[in-house]
Amino acid sequence: MAASYWESTQRKFWTFTKQQLALERRKVEESERVLVQQYPLPDRRLLSIYFYHQLAKLARPLAVRQQALATAQVYVRRFYTKVEIRRTNPTLVLATALYLACKMEECPQHIRMVLAEARHCWDMPVNDTSKIGECEFTLISEMNSQLIIHHPYRSLTELQANFQLTQEENALAWSIINDHYLTDLPLLHAPHVIAITAMFLAVVLKPAQGGLQVHAAGVANALQTLGNARSSSGPGTQNRVQKLVNWLAESNVDIEAVVDCTQELISLYEIWEQFTDKTCKDQIARFVKGRGLDK
Amino acid sequence: MLSGGYSSKKRVNERYKIIGFISSGTYGRVYKAQGKNGQVGEFAIKKFKPDKEGEVQYTGISQSAIREMALCTELSHPNVVHTVEIILEDKCIFIVFEYAEHDLLQIIHHHNQPQRHAIPARTIKSILYQLLQGLVYLHKNWVMHRDLKPANIMVTSAGKVKIGDLGLARLFYKPLHSLFTGDKVVVTIWYRAPELLLGSRHYTPAVDLWAVGCIFAELLSLRPIFKGEEAKMDSKKTVPFQRNQMQKIVEILGMPSKDRWPLLAAMPEFGQLGSLSAGNPRIHRPMGLDQWYHQCLKTNQYPTGPSSATPGSEGLALLSGLLEYDPQKRLTAEQALRHNYFSAHGERPSENCFEGSTIEYPYRRVSQEDNDIRTSSLPGTKRSGLPDDSLIGRPAKRLKEG
Repeated sequence: MAASYWESTQRKFWTFTKQQLALERRKVEESERVLVQQYPLPDRRLLSIYFYHQLAKLARPLAVRQQALATAQVYVRRFYTKVEIRRTNPTLVLATALYLACKMEECPQHIRMVLAEARHCWDMPVNDTSKIGECEFTLISEMNSQLIIHHPYRSLTELQANFQLTQEENALAWSIINDHYLTDLPLLHAPHVIAITAMFLAVVLKPAQGGLQVHAAGVANALQTLGNARSSSGPGTQNRVQKLVNWLAESNVDIEAVVDCTQELISLYEIWEQFTDKTCKDQIARFVKGRGLDK
Repeated sequence: MLSGGYSSKKRVNERYKIIGFISSGTYGRVYKAQGKNGQVGEFAIKKFKPDKEGEVQYTGISQSAIREMALCTELSHPNVVHTVEIILEDKCIFIVFEYAEHDLLQIIHHHNQPQRHAIPARTIKSILYQLLQGLVYLHKNWVMHRDLKPANIMVTSAGKVKIGDLGLARLFYKPLHSLFTGDKVVVTIWYRAPELLLGSRHYTPAVDLWAVGCIFAELLSLRPIFKGEEAKMDSKKTVPFQRNQMQKIVEILGMPSKDRWPLLAAMPEFGQLGSLSAGNPRIHRPMGLDQWYHQCLKTNQYPTGPSSATPGSEGLALLSGLLEYDPQKRLTAEQALRHNYFSAHGERPSENCFEGSTIEYPYRRVSQEDNDIRTSSLPGTKRSGLPDDSLIGRPAKRLKEG
């Protein structure tokens, strides 16, 4: 498991094709058709950005490590493929996911601390730790106790050594991995595919010039490069990139998967520009208040 | 949060009929059960007690329960107890395991009664071989067990050995904090490796191999090899130096030296070693593992001369490789598995540890006192004359994280 992703419950039960994932979600929505019509919500990626902002806000004062934050994001995403969001109080789900992730990633936080911080930074009206405790049962039960998450960070560490990434490239790849938790990619691809994508983009995007901010256009160019490099062989100016592409071609890594991950990231960076905190917050508040889920 | 609150989709009582109570510990209780409504076979169901007695509210699940649930769900190997399912119901957690009729403690106990008679050498070899295969699997998957001891090694009536109780197990791949920070005390005292006794912050899976060495010795001699007394934690919750346990080890193995264990002097409790001999002359005249071993084979009447009826000299070589002070030199589970001990006399260890043995082991005792898994009041109630800790003076279950 931890060593072998291939035998993991993550691969066996929580990695989907796009079609499968769409089907799962349709099933969940159809089970609550009235609610879904009554309370429209922003695009899933916008909600993910919102959730991430909220989680990060909660994680900061608690000094939660990035990996636990990432685990919490995956828990939330898994949970909402099984349970219609409009039947839940998302803030409670977020707080609980972080509480559970901290235990699983061996940096536990006391339930009272999590509750106190959630009340402080989100104005969460819940004032009873038993709510988090109950929600924890729900989360674990929906995830069938499959709580161990394989993250791309570990693969990146191995790649970094193999390809002698510069510190800047490594930092950029790391932040691209952070970003992929805002998409469906953790449910679609193996962690090493994500890590390779992140490394590839980091090398092509040359962080020294662009800083750590990734833009859709830049990634789109990178994708172009990937395409060009695949069709034209021979030494070019983009030596390092070419080397990477050659390695990709010779390895068992599915290049289509890398392309797919890159496209998913482009669309994330595109939609990010439309993101406003308030829209998400208000639309969530509508069904939470309307249905009394915050009680 | 969910409209309607949490309700379990699966109910323990709909799927299992509780036959009786097996044992209790710091974690909660274990019951024997029979499947019903399509669920076939016998099972052991571990019920975790809520943090506080008689808890009527959700309080958050303990980290050790979370670890055990996650690991049990993930792991799958013939020599690791199989988890059938996990049920969360009425604020309680139930882990349903495959049932094993025996465990090593019970087997050792049986060989001590009515008078001592040795466990057949072939049985021991098969047990060890299976135990190590399970351990190779755990370590390959970055799981450290951290509580190996006879009571936690199950044996089915078909002679299959299964590592159980992952309540202290954890992943050790690049921990965010030192392992010591997570759990101050791990492994039941008699099976605790010297680096742990000396306060090591960053220990390794080698701690499990030391425990395997202790278990091997105990299977041979039918007594714990290092039977120390545990120093209790003081009121300030500082972890005490386990002087008596360290003495027991040194009385047999002799004092560890910087020559053989280069990092010895870096151990936090290294300074304590100097005073071990105060009032204990045996520290200066250690028995030596060789002598311990030969005496043990003699007492338990294993035949002399090479044959598969005795663990022989290969057994001693393996034992010294496991009870090696320096964790970096100690055999790994893989190395131990490749040891000559397992290939001597051209005979592979059997997949069934009872093969060729005529000894009948008693069935696991289950008590009828408490048959209601859902309502029974939890611990405080000590087990009633049951195999697990019934051998006089077994040390208390290791402490959970503070």
